[in-house]
Parts: sequence; structure tokens; C-alpha cells
Amino acid sequence: MRASGFPFLVPMLALSVAFFALPLALLFAYSFAGETGPSLENYARFLGDPFNFRVLLNTARLGFETVLSTTLLGIPIALLFWHSGQRTRQVIIFLTLIPMLTSNVVRTFAWIVILGRQGPISETLMALGLTGAPISLMFTEFGLILAMTQIDLPLIILPLVAILSRLPRNLTEAAEVSGAGPWRVMVTVLLPLMVPALLAGWILVYASTSASFVTQAVIGGARNVYVPQLIYREVGTLFDWPLASAIAVVLLFTTGILLLALSMLSRHRRLVGHG
Amino acid sequence: MTEFKLTRRQFGLLAASAAAAGLLPIPARAANGSLVAATFPGNWEDAYRRVLTPLVSEAGYDLTIAPALAQDQLAKVMASPGAPAYDTLLMSPGQMAIALENDLIQKIDTSRLSNWSKLDPAFQGEYGPTVTVEVNGIAYNPDLVPAPKGYADLFENPAYAGKVSWTGFGSNTAVMAYTQLAKIYGSGPEDMDAVFKLFADHPENLAGVVDSTNSQMSLYQQGEIAVFMCSTGNVAKLKSLGLNAEFVHPETGSPAAPVNIHLTKGSNNLDAAYAYMDAAISQAAQEQLTLPPTEMFPTNMDVALTPGIEAFVTRDTIPSLVYPDWALINKNRPDWIRAFDALVMG
Repeated sequence: MRASGFPFLVPMLALSVAFFALPLALLFAYSFAGETGPSLENYARFLGDPFNFRVLLNTARLGFETVLSTTLLGIPIALLFWHSGQRTRQVIIFLTLIPMLTSNVVRTFAWIVILGRQGPISETLMALGLTGAPISLMFTEFGLILAMTQIDLPLIILPLVAILSRLPRNLTEAAEVSGAGPWRVMVTVLLPLMVPALLAGWILVYASTSASFVTQAVIGGARNVYVPQLIYREVGTLFDWPLASAIAVVLLFTTGILLLALSMLSRHRRLVGHG
Repeated sequence: MTEFKLTRRQFGLLAASAAAAGLLPIPARAANGSLVAATFPGNWEDAYRRVLTPLVSEAGYDLTIAPALAQDQLAKVMASPGAPAYDTLLMSPGQMAIALENDLIQKIDTSRLSNWSKLDPAFQGEYGPTVTVEVNGIAYNPDLVPAPKGYADLFENPAYAGKVSWTGFGSNTAVMAYTQLAKIYGSGPEDMDAVFKLFADHPENLAGVVDSTNSQMSLYQQGEIAVFMCSTGNVAKLKSLGLNAEFVHPETGSPAAPVNIHLTKGSNNLDAAYAYMDAAISQAAQEQLTLPPTEMFPTNMDVALTPGIEAFVTRDTIPSLVYPDWALINKNRPDWIRAFDALVMG
């Protein structure tokens, strides 16, 4: 009989408990710290302030908007990959992976140049006569979504590419022979097969976007406040750690619920093309 | 019962896993003969690494410069009071008051600093030496806007509409400017409602609010902003990068903040920390730091002021600068931060 591999998991399990589970438990415990003992006052303070509630909604909206934009861009790129030859596929993978090899901070600061008054977007709009004066997309939610879309695009392209590369290319031909038009092939054949990859990508993009402190702070400016900045403010500026812990738990909880819902959808037989 | 066998390959994998686990970055205290010194990010970090590392090395110690804003330094030391992240801190009186309140810093033994007597008595603090005085004012781009007279000009003169950047109340530079605005438009430095009303009446000034002075420096380089609240050091750095930038003393006075090195309570590297402090106030270091791109005001009396520094401040004008009431600021700061953030978000 083969020996169990469990002993080999022990170091990893120990590390996960020590550096992930335990800190999370501490964070959770700290969020209940009150003036006179354990209480829900930090949660009441956070959720009772309309400003914080708006920040929470903004963060969720930013996540959804970025998921939407990365999906709209990611699907065509993944389909191009699927229909392409070996050389083009290599180029697509290379162009997808290259940005991931640079730091998030570097990419964020590159976007300052792109979105700025003297950046290529402003120059192009002026050259096309669409605007008479330089425009800046800095400190706007639109500019932030543009930056986040570029930064998180690989997170949705890679799962899609992984799934599509396993599909035979004559799949669409079979559907077309049966009388389906291009859109019908897309909606009834390809999209259902892509759903597991899309769900995985959405989970990654949403989690990455809602926690991207640097990009939110630098591109979004102070007018677009999101939960990570709120946590940083409470920890680093106001030293109110119990409240910061409560905010972090709320962020974990809200993000967790969304991710759980997406995970459950990814296991739904009819949705993922088995039905 | 299952028989447990371990092949050579499996043993090798296990050993490799254990070795890899050992390589994980577990926070370790610096060994004897070394220290971790917190400095402000950007210009300070570059300068202290370049100028002080060799001097401390000559004294026989390894110096690690760790960039962190003053508030972040406090947060990190509060996080592990028994084993502080830094052996020394760099901060202004506002943060020093919080550090004292939380028992994070200790009095220094001045007999261990050979350059102590070279400091002006005003800069000989019992909790550490003052290494420079940051003079604050307004930075502007002469290519884009005229020279502002003061803070009020930025709100009342249409030439600045949409071209001024501000930061939140977490920044010392910003909070000093806001207390000045409170004096101009309100009943005194504590009357921040007057400042909030001023911003509400001039929403164009809310458009360019960012998180920190460092972000403003990046935005200035890209031509995104033309005016921001700054120290003379910020302008010196912009000039050293070849940018057109000028400094203005506001007509109501220039806020100033002494910058001190403090000895962290619980530091195990006292010898190295004293060597570092001594190097920071030495003539050799301060002479280098008076030059561009830092142009720091020297607190060592043997160091001559350069023309570049004298253009902003002299030893005689230092006492006449505006020194904010940090006790008042610290008392109100949390409320101000929250109120301003809500105002900015709209």
C-alpha cells in the first residue's frame, strides 16, 4: 500500500496556520476590542457612518466595473488566441505576461503619464479635434478603471486562454454546419464553455481591484476613496487599530460573500455548459 | 496499520521544503554593530543613504535606511513595542508628542554624542537632536502661474483655479497650511470649520486633492499641478530634476517644523544608534546635506549656510518662523481628517 503524503504537507500547513489563519484570527479578535471590553462598537461606528457606507459601495462598484471592462476586453483577446497560429499565440501570451513582470507600483506611475494632461490620450483627443484644450483623466473614476483594467487584464485572459486552448477549433464549424450564425455560436457554444474560466477570472479581478491600495490612492486621488485607503488611514494616521480591523473584516466579509457566490456559480452544472 | 516509508527522493523534497521554510522573511532584529534608521521617503532617504551610510560605516556600524512617513513610523513601532521595527525615528514635534504619549522613545545620553556641543542650544532636545528645520511654504511653476502672495491668493485669485493641489490632514505640511488658513479665514488655528467652508465654496480646490506630498511631486513633474504646499527641500529636489519650480514664503509667515532623530525605546543597538545620531549632526554630513538636491538647513553651528539656503532662511530668521501648536493639532487631527475626507469625497 502506498504511504500517505500527509507528512509532506505538514510544513505548508504549519506555515499557513502561522502566517495566514492565525493573523486573520487576531484581526478578527482585534475588531471587537472596545473601551471597556469586547463589543460591537467598532462595527457600529463603521457601518453607522454614511461616509463609510458610501466608501464600501464605491469599492464594490469599482470591482464590478473593472470586472466588466476586463471581461469585454479579455474575451476577444482570448478568442483571437484560440483562432491564431503558434507564433501569434506566443505573442499574445508574451504581451499578456510582460506587464505582470513589472511591479504594480511601476505600472501605476506609468498610468500617471498616460492619463495626464500631456499624455497620449489627451494628445490624441486634441489631434482628432475632439477637445480644444488638454484634458486630464487623473483623479477620475474613469481613469482609475482604465488603469485597473490594464493591470488586471492578465488575470482574466490567462484562465480563458487555458480553457480555450483545450477546445478543438472545429467546434465552431460543427455549429455553423448545423445552421448557427456567428453570434449564436458565441452565445450557445463558446460562452457556456468559457463560464468556468470567466468565473475564476472575475474572482481574481474583483479581489485584486478592491484591494489595490496604491493604484486607488495614486490614480483615484483623494476624491475617490475606497476601503483600503480607509484602513490605511485608520492604521497609519489615526492609530485606531480596532476600527481598522473592523473595516478589514467587513471588506473580507463582503468580498468573501461575492467570491463564494461566484464559486457556487462555477459549480452550477447548467451554467457551465453541462446541462 | 499503514506502513510509512520514506524514499530518498521524498526525504530530499522534505529537506528542501524545510530549507525553503527557513528562508521565509521572518522579522529579525539587526545584529550588534548595525541599526535600522527610519527616514522620510524620497529626498531624505536618498540623502541619508548617500551621506550617512559611509560615516556610520567608518564608525564601525552597518546602517540600514528604512523609508517611512512619520505617521507610519509611529504605527509600525506601536505594532511591536517590544521589538521595534526601527532603532531610531525621524519626526517633527507633532509626532514626537504622540511618541512620548505612547512611551515609544527614550531620553538620550548626550555625553555619547561628540558633536552635541556644536548644535545651537535650541536644537539640543533631551529626546534627540534636531537635524534640520523644514521651512514650509508654497511651491509654484512659474511657467504656468504667477507667484502667489500667500494662502488666500490660492482661493481668491482666478489664476490658480484648478491648478492647486492639496493633501489631507494626515500630512504635516498640509496641516500646517490649514492652521494658517484657519487663522486667515476663521477665529484662529483651531477654527477648521472656516477652512472646510472655504473649500466648500471653492470646489475647484478639491479636484486636485491627493494622498501625499510625494504624489504631488510626481504630478508636478508631469505638469498635472502647478501649485502645492511644500518645504524648501521639495523645491530643491524639483530644481535638481531640471524642473522649473519656485518657493514662496506666504505673506502670513512660513510654517516651520524642526526634524529630530529619536532613540526608540527597546532598541538593542544603542551604540550604533548613537553613532548614527552623531554622524547626522556632524559637520561632514551637514555640509553635504546643505548642497542640492537636499539643501537642508544645518543645525551644526560650524556649517555655513549656502546661498541657496539663505535665499529661504537664515539663522536669524529661524526664530521668527511660524511654529504650530502641535498639542492643539494632535487633539483635533482625527476629527479634522475624517471631516476633510468626507468633504473631499463630496
